[in-house]
Order: sequence, then C-alpha cells, then structure tokens
Amino acid sequence: MRYWRKRHEAFDLEAELRTSRPEPAPELISRLEARARDHGRSRAGSLRVAFVGALTAVMVLALASVGGVGYASSAAEDAAVSVKRVVSPSDVISVIDRSSASDQYKKPAKKKKVKAKKKGKGAKGKVKARIRPPFTG
Amino acid sequence: MFRRDPLADPAPLIKRVYAYAAYRLGDGPEAEDVTSETFERALRYKKSYDPRKGEPVAWLLGIAKRCIDGSWSTTEYATEGVDSVDATDLEEETIRRLTVTRAVATLDERDRELVALRYGADLTARQIAELLGARTNAVEVALHRALGRLRAVLGEEMDAEPVRKRGASQ
Repeated sequence: MRYWRKRHEAFDLEAELRTSRPEPAPELISRLEARARDHGRSRAGSLRVAFVGALTAVMVLALASVGGVGYASSAAEDAAVSVKRVVSPSDVISVIDRSSASDQYKKPAKKKKVKAKKKGKGAKGKVKARIRPPFTG
Repeated sequence: MFRRDPLADPAPLIKRVYAYAAYRLGDGPEAEDVTSETFERALRYKKSYDPRKGEPVAWLLGIAKRCIDGSWSTTEYATEGVDSVDATDLEEETIRRLTVTRAVATLDERDRELVALRYGADLTARQIAELLGARTNAVEVALHRALGRLRAVLGEEMDAEPVRKRGASQ
C-alpha cells in the first residue's frame, strides 16, 4: 500500500482504473484473431465463387441475346480452318487450273499422230497415196 | 449490398471484451472463457450485427454480458492469487493493478458491471445507457456512486494495511 500512501493526495481513481485494466494473454489474442480470420476467409471465398458464377451467367445471357454465340461458333470454325492450314501446308498453295494466264501461256499441246484413213471398204493392205499429178511430158 | 465486417480488426475488441469480463469475474481463466465464448457467438451470429444500432464493441459487450449473466456466477469473483501477493516482491505497477482489482471485487454486481463497462471496455456513459436500456443521466449518477464506494474501499484498505502488517510482524 506504499503506492496509495505515496500518492494519496493526488489520487485519480478513474485513471487508475483505466491503467490497471486487465489485459488478455497474447496467446488468447492470437488464437481469437486466427479464428476470426479463418472464418472471414472461408466466407469470402464462397462469396467470390458465387460472384464469379453469377457474372459468367450474366455475360453468357447477354452474348446470346445479340447472337454472339453464333458469331463465336463461326469464329471458332474459321480459327480451326486456319490452324488446319498451318498444320498441313500443302493446302496453302492452290493452283488455279483455269485462269486467263494459263490460257495465254499454256504449253502447246502435243499434236496427235493422225492415222491414215482407211480407204473404202474394199481396200486391203498399204496403198501409197499420189501426191503429185502424173508426168505428161 | 455488402456489410462492414464487425470483426475486421479483432485485437482491440478482444482486449476490451476481456477487460470487461475481467473486471466482472476477475482476471484469469474465467474471463478468458467468457471472451472466447463471446467471439464464438459473434462469429456465429455475425449477420445479426446492425451497424445502425451501435459500434461493434457495444454489440460484443452485449454478447459478453449475456454470457456472464447466463452461465457464469458473478458472485464468485476470482480473487485467488490476489491476496497471496507479496507486495515487497512486486513492481509498483503490479501492486497498483492488484489493489484496484481487489477493490473492484468488493463492489456489488451492479457497480462492478458499470465499472467494467466504463473503465474495462472503455464505453461512454451514453453507450452504457444504450446497452443497459437506461438513461444516460442515471448511468452517470450510478457510476459516480460506484466510484465513491470504490474510493471508500481503497481508503479502508489503506487504513487496514498498517494494522495487517503489525499483526503479521507479531
């Protein structure tokens, strides 16, 4: 009681009650803090998942309402074709067979050998054809 | 859409709830149990917290008050260890703290609760009035009287101390 005797004159009970306030053990504080943090984290996680799900659903509905789904599917098809071209390069170069250039600069076609016509029904064997008129002299 | 989390910064709240419980039940395991129980209930019923009705600390103290009134006996104040303290071995601050705690333990339940709310949990008279459903003025008067009784107890202890010491020396 030395303390009370020493400061008997200027004794502020209210200040003493505040400064003498009992304090919890640090273990209790850390345990309860961890408990509160874990609880908050699990709730925040489930809320986040629900929010992402709802946002996705809204976006899909909005896209579907303006025909975005069909557009997306055709875009995907085009993308698939492009990928196919890249993967198999033989398809990339396409030769156009019938064009004005090929008509103009095409190689002359080889002449086919004309077979001698057979004469008449009765002709048999090889007959030399007269190419000049007979000398009359 | 989203409510403010009343337990977002729990450390200062834990300290205030513990101080309240310790002023009512005594510093020790019972106050720790009440604090833990209060926070468990607060986490369970966090949705029921309405910021329009008051600060999170007032809400928590309401829970702590119900915990103490419901399960813990407030008549058996934990004073073990307080009487057995040898003042010569302790620092002045510890002596001061223990003396105040012992003096608070002698108050009746109502006074102890008011002191616990005002100086343990650091609530204003208005907040105490809201919590207890009383008028602010009535709370201020009751607190003034409780402090008077506490001063008297501390004065008695001061007078009794030399007698006790004399008896011990004989």
